[in-house]
Amino acid sequence: MAMSDYPPATIERLVEETSTVYSLPLFYERLNETINHPRSSIDDISKIITEDQGLTARLLRLANSPMFGCYAKVESIAKAVTIIGTQQLRDLALAASVMGVFKGIPEDLLNMTSFWRHCIACGIIARSLAVYRRESNVERLFVAGMLHDVGQVVLATARPEVSRELLEAQRDTGMLYLHLERERLGFDHAELGGALLKKWKIPASIGEPVACHHNPGSAEQFRLETALIHLADIICQSMELGHGAEAGVPPLDEPAWDRLGMSPQMLGTVLKQSESQINETFSILSGGADG
Amino acid sequence: MGKVAIENIETGMVLASDVHDRSGRMLLGAGAELTQKHLVIFRTWGVLEADIEGQGSADSADQIPPDVDPLELAAAEQELAPLFKHTNRSHPAIIELMRIAALRKVQHGHV
Repeated sequence: MAMSDYPPATIERLVEETSTVYSLPLFYERLNETINHPRSSIDDISKIITEDQGLTARLLRLANSPMFGCYAKVESIAKAVTIIGTQQLRDLALAASVMGVFKGIPEDLLNMTSFWRHCIACGIIARSLAVYRRESNVERLFVAGMLHDVGQVVLATARPEVSRELLEAQRDTGMLYLHLERERLGFDHAELGGALLKKWKIPASIGEPVACHHNPGSAEQFRLETALIHLADIICQSMELGHGAEAGVPPLDEPAWDRLGMSPQMLGTVLKQSESQINETFSILSGGADG
Repeated sequence: MGKVAIENIETGMVLASDVHDRSGRMLLGAGAELTQKHLVIFRTWGVLEADIEGQGSADSADQIPPDVDPLELAAAEQELAPLFKHTNRSHPAIIELMRIAALRKVQHGHV
């Protein structure tokens, strides 16, 4: 196909190009270091967060949202750290800051509002599924869901032409975007996104589910998380909660479904629980600094 | 017998098997007839579904809320067919998702 005007798009090249242009705010690295340092206190952590006012506001609104079901008002970051936990707060900070990283993508390639809506919905549903399964530290699933389609954005920024051709091919042939990617590029947006997260040194508990969400069988370490993201993505596509580049519902991986041990009847319950959270979280995260 | 989600359980239904809370503690034994108080306790302890006597497990999939016109539902399902054409439509989870998606389309005018 006519994709020869560009140097061949390999995962390595795309990640290299993207990571030189877009980087996670330096603050994430500092936050991570501080959290991992055995002698840092809650004060140290909240000091770093409060340097970014937009982020502070968003984190506080998140901490006060029904997602955490806290009765008392959370009015300081130090309190939020205590309630939510340092690891989870780092995950939330990551989610809140990643949304601002990619900008300037042509509207006809990806509608970013709709795209983030899809991502947030996937994150919230993955989180609800995990809560239903009584998992601990569910915020990492929220973040993995938020980031699961980041590969689509990478392709749209690094190779807008390729992205456009794929979208046109999707319209013309009615094939899945995912399958077109694999056929024409040799990889899909899941692998691409996973590679970028690895480059950004995001922990594998988030990176692997992103990398394998369309091929859950290939996950080695975090099979359960991967299965959750895989299912959450399918739920979002089915209910058309926001839109990424993909127009159809991707195939469900049966071993992944079996791994979760859920009954189909629960899907409605989980969805009902998630829905108000999706709207709320979407307005919290998209309001304020960027959009 | 079949699993029934908590919001569809009504008083007077009979448990087909024991109900446990999230940590596995038994709350109520099989054969008990449910009262309003039981339902409150189930909710308090995070029980999301229970095994109810005389409910086929396919039952919930056939339930159509009274305010939904079956014809409209069929039309919505038809409309959704292209969305689901690439996925495994015979899988119970996907069947359930299609059902929910069609219901939402009818009830809210969108999916």
